[in-house]
Amino acid sequence: MAELANIKKDDDPMPVFPINRGYIKRKKFYNGIAVFLAVMAFIIGAFPVFHIIYKAVALGHEYLNWRFISTLPTGFPIGAQGGILNAIIGDVYLVVIASIFAVPLGIGSGLYLSLFGKKRTNTFLRLLNELMIGIPSVVWGIVGFYVFSTNAGLGFHFGFSALAGGLTLGFIMTPIIALLTEQAINRIPSGYIEGALAMGATKWQATKSVIIKAALGGIFTGILLGIMNIIGQTAPLLFTNYYNTGMPTGITGPGGAVGDLAMLIFIYIHEPSKILHVKAEAASVVLLCFIFAIDLGLRLINYLTRKFL
Amino acid sequence: MAEQDEIKVNVKNLNFYYGNYHLLKNINLYFKKNSVCTLLGPSGCGKSTFLRTLNRMNDYTEGAKLTGEVLIDGKNIYDKSVDVVELRRNIGMVFQSPNPFPKSIFDNIAFGLKIHGIKNREFIAERVEKCLRYAGLYDEVKDKLHKSAFSLSGGQQQRLCIARAIATNPSILLMDEPTAYLDPASASIILDLITTFKKYYTIIIVSHNIQQAGRISDYSGFFLDGELIEFDEAGNFFTRPKDKRTENFITSRY
Repeated sequence: MAELANIKKDDDPMPVFPINRGYIKRKKFYNGIAVFLAVMAFIIGAFPVFHIIYKAVALGHEYLNWRFISTLPTGFPIGAQGGILNAIIGDVYLVVIASIFAVPLGIGSGLYLSLFGKKRTNTFLRLLNELMIGIPSVVWGIVGFYVFSTNAGLGFHFGFSALAGGLTLGFIMTPIIALLTEQAINRIPSGYIEGALAMGATKWQATKSVIIKAALGGIFTGILLGIMNIIGQTAPLLFTNYYNTGMPTGITGPGGAVGDLAMLIFIYIHEPSKILHVKAEAASVVLLCFIFAIDLGLRLINYLTRKFL
Repeated sequence: MAEQDEIKVNVKNLNFYYGNYHLLKNINLYFKKNSVCTLLGPSGCGKSTFLRTLNRMNDYTEGAKLTGEVLIDGKNIYDKSVDVVELRRNIGMVFQSPNPFPKSIFDNIAFGLKIHGIKNREFIAERVEKCLRYAGLYDEVKDKLHKSAFSLSGGQQQRLCIARAIATNPSILLMDEPTAYLDPASASIILDLITTFKKYYTIIIVSHNIQQAGRISDYSGFFLDGELIEFDEAGNFFTRPKDKRTENFITSRY
């Protein structure tokens, strides 16, 4: 306090500095440029998205009806008549199989990273997890091919099937769920965990009844982001499932392969057939709708967890 | 020296290290049964760390090392035979910022019973009500027991945390600046609670607030840079401190 009083008493009053009108004009001009660039960046970034949606709808709109998504492809070349039910059912197969594999594994890994592991090993494991997210999906395809489809790897020999494809997609999904789970748990106030431990809860009791509940929104986000990621994948399926124009009769071996929207688009576009090209566009719209629905679900979950937890 | 059977917690030659950092330096003190003891000191002096050594909350801190003994009812809690879960059942803890779980008011308290294997619903309901009554919260929340604990005000949340802490029948209550984030009226309610709780519990409180500490303490200790500078009955501590540094602190010269 004493020093403050001295300054006031002994020093001159603060000199008033002149206002630079030119500079004020210039800084407003720079501000305008910054806003303009930001808007341009947004337009350039968003344009392809709207263009894709517009093109897909414009080209494929004649097939956007209930029949298209509720019937199997027929005719010659296959798909010239009928719809894309095989691909929709196939996607359900793949997502369910991938989730059964990836959800417990991803959540478990996330829990380990955030709660149970040691600091030093965690740094390494986290790096590994991020590396896994960065691995190109075609590489996962090759891995899946050796491990699940052939009998060269671990002897699973599932053939080109939903199980081999789904598990390979699960590989892609797991690190995403692990990362999001870990982040969600790290965002939980440490008071929840400490409060539970201080009452004599074991780490697992605290995890089970307090932590997972508080992190549920983040964990669901991870799961849905994982699903959004794998639902558009083709490369991992090329070597593990490929494609089936009909319904699967099982999930392994011959007859175990399923259709898939992304694969359907990929295959139809490669066919020298105008009808199939149009149907590929329509299928793109259906795929976009699925992803959009998942995204809406994601936002709904975030909203609900914020409101009720 | 107090009578042996009056002593609830006895700390002997306690040293605590975090990596190479010597956080607590040879702490020796004891807490009497059914007394309120406040531990004062500037931020970073180690008083919270000390409090957390009493229920082994530092166990999970990597790089932490502890020497010396903490005897509770004559038994060293750092002995290998001691079960941490059982130990913490006996020691309730209230934290600086109210930290109710993201559960209903009822479930916040029932949690403490459930984690110790109690399933009897009637017993749990009865205990929840009793804990809320003890914490002076029952009348305010009796109509919304199954609403989220976050619907309560900060002061109510802190009393809920106190109710939660006593649900497991502890004999010791540790409080880490329990009124730090509360408005004066809510803080005052909690201080009154602490005074009445003396009957049932041995209470150890870490505090910044000298005035509040003076109001509720039977004993007080002063920590500075990881050392226990002074520990005495509250009457002597606040009016006739023996150490110059204690005097400086309680007259706010730190």
